[in-house]
Amino acid sequence: MEPNTVIGLLLWGTWVGLDLASIAQVMINRPLVAGTIAGAILGDAQTGLMVGVVLELFALDVLPFGAARYPDYGLGAVAAAAAAVGAPGLFGLGLGVVVGLVVAYAGEIGIQLVRGRTSADVRRHRTDLEAGDRSTIYRLHLRGIGRDALRATVLTALGLGLAGIARFAHPTTVRTAVALSAVATGVGLGTALLGGVRMARGSRASWTWLATGIVAGTIWVVVR
Amino acid sequence: MKPRLASAAVRLLVLQGSMNHERLQGIGAAVAIEPLIRDLDGGQNGQRYRAALARSAGFFNTNPYLAGVAIGAVARAEHSGAPLRQVETLRSAIKGPLGSLGDRLIWTGVLPVCASIGLVCATLVHPLVAVAAYLLAFNAVNVAVRWWGLRAGWRSGIAVAAMLSQSVLRRAVKFVGPLAVLSIGVALPVAAEMLTANFDTSVRVGTAGVALATAATSWFLMPSVGAARVGILALGSVLVLGWIW
Amino acid sequence: MSLELVRVDDRLIHGQVVVGWGQVLNPDLFVVVDDEVAQNEWEQEIYRMGVLATQEVEFTSVSDAAESVERWANSSCRTIVLVSDIDSLTRLCEAAPTIRRVNLGGVHHERDRRLHLPYLFLDDREVDQLLALAERGLEISAQDLPTAARVNLEDLL
Repeated sequence: MEPNTVIGLLLWGTWVGLDLASIAQVMINRPLVAGTIAGAILGDAQTGLMVGVVLELFALDVLPFGAARYPDYGLGAVAAAAAAVGAPGLFGLGLGVVVGLVVAYAGEIGIQLVRGRTSADVRRHRTDLEAGDRSTIYRLHLRGIGRDALRATVLTALGLGLAGIARFAHPTTVRTAVALSAVATGVGLGTALLGGVRMARGSRASWTWLATGIVAGTIWVVVR
Repeated sequence: MKPRLASAAVRLLVLQGSMNHERLQGIGAAVAIEPLIRDLDGGQNGQRYRAALARSAGFFNTNPYLAGVAIGAVARAEHSGAPLRQVETLRSAIKGPLGSLGDRLIWTGVLPVCASIGLVCATLVHPLVAVAAYLLAFNAVNVAVRWWGLRAGWRSGIAVAAMLSQSVLRRAVKFVGPLAVLSIGVALPVAAEMLTANFDTSVRVGTAGVALATAATSWFLMPSVGAARVGILALGSVLVLGWIW
Repeated sequence: MSLELVRVDDRLIHGQVVVGWGQVLNPDLFVVVDDEVAQNEWEQEIYRMGVLATQEVEFTSVSDAAESVERWANSSCRTIVLVSDIDSLTRLCEAAPTIRRVNLGGVHHERDRRLHLPYLFLDDREVDQLLALAERGLEISAQDLPTAARVNLEDLL
């Protein structure tokens, strides 16, 4: 990897991580977006897209309510693209997703760490907060964003390291590579299916909506 | 009185920047409301301003895209001379219902629809164009909802609930839910076809089996484990098996 | 059996309850048990906008709720009962032995409360109240979302 590529991925990963909750949430944290752009930075948007699609399926079952715990699939997709680009054919997809899931889960732990630190910071400044001191509020807020930026950068670096290791440790047989890709795809599809089922119940939409969609999508795929 | 709504709207983009267990979005809410309460009696050095800022920094959590409704309404209530107790009640009561409304609108509505648009586009056009379509679709709603919300909140003050129950939002939520479910349905076979295009038929059948097993396991056996960990477990096992075998 | 969930949550009606638990429990009715909200129609109007158009919300005081628990449990309406704090929960459960299981879903930071889980802050008195309820045979556990881990009372104190 060229130094410029590494810097590009670190910057992209930092923004992706911040987009999850801290800044703007314009959805560049979605794996489809984060993975494809990371792939493009690496010179292969198509491979980035493929791992992005699998992780996007995982992310469809996430409800990111404020205090709940959820993985950072966007950071995962950046690392997944780094692991998958350059690997031949089916070898890349499964391995990329493995790396992506590990980083996504590490991202979840990172969020808890950052929020714990910010909580302690807030506790220390309780008196000033109760007095309505503006500069304390601003400083606490900026430090919070800083911690999340640090989380995103560190985890992107970690993800790139993992991707490097994964290239050495990648499966040696085609059979394992195919199995890995198939299981990654299967778990992703199953997760998205479950997400659809949960959403159907949650919005009290009838099951027929989901079934209609699946039938329509299948027909479209077959006709093409 | 010239409300500094644009400034508040920009600050609302970083509402969750200092998310923490103790106050959740509280500090961010204070940062966002600050431009709207500067002209309370006594100005930025006045007691009213400081008290309002301190109130705003307390525990707060709502859907980030609709947070402007709450911030705007509370700021307006601070100006309107409503009893302090009512301002506090408004602030603490509105966050939950508004969050529920926003979560349904965005997380189980607009977002899955846009994700499905992105997934379907990915099979039709260049990957970067698909990404652009995804982002454009989502952010058209994102920008519109945020700006509408802040202004509507500021206009309504303590009458915010009456405003919301009459608003297009409640009607939008009603149809966006089924639409999201339908679009996930469409996206599933499309994504499956795209990802398994290079697989043999037997491998495709295996993939479908894994998909159904995953959905069933996560629904019945271990809903609290989460897909990421299920995936790591399954893929880790395949890797280990591959090495041994 | 149609008392799907009895939950302590100071946010009462919000996304985790309506969407998160709603996806699993498919409730028809939310009951908000809070003495102050029960008397404030303006506040009730705010909470009403948080539920689906096909769902109902009922607001009651703690003492009225205790009398209605039996009715909710025997109705065909799938019901989620939301209580705003441990005090109200204690009064409700003491008066309504029909309630056997309680979910702690969100009690947030205030004065002397200490962190037990990221969404659960309790002071010493509240801990004692919960222990007393557990001693009476109530099954008490903490869980913010159905997709999150459930933590039993004895494990979180």
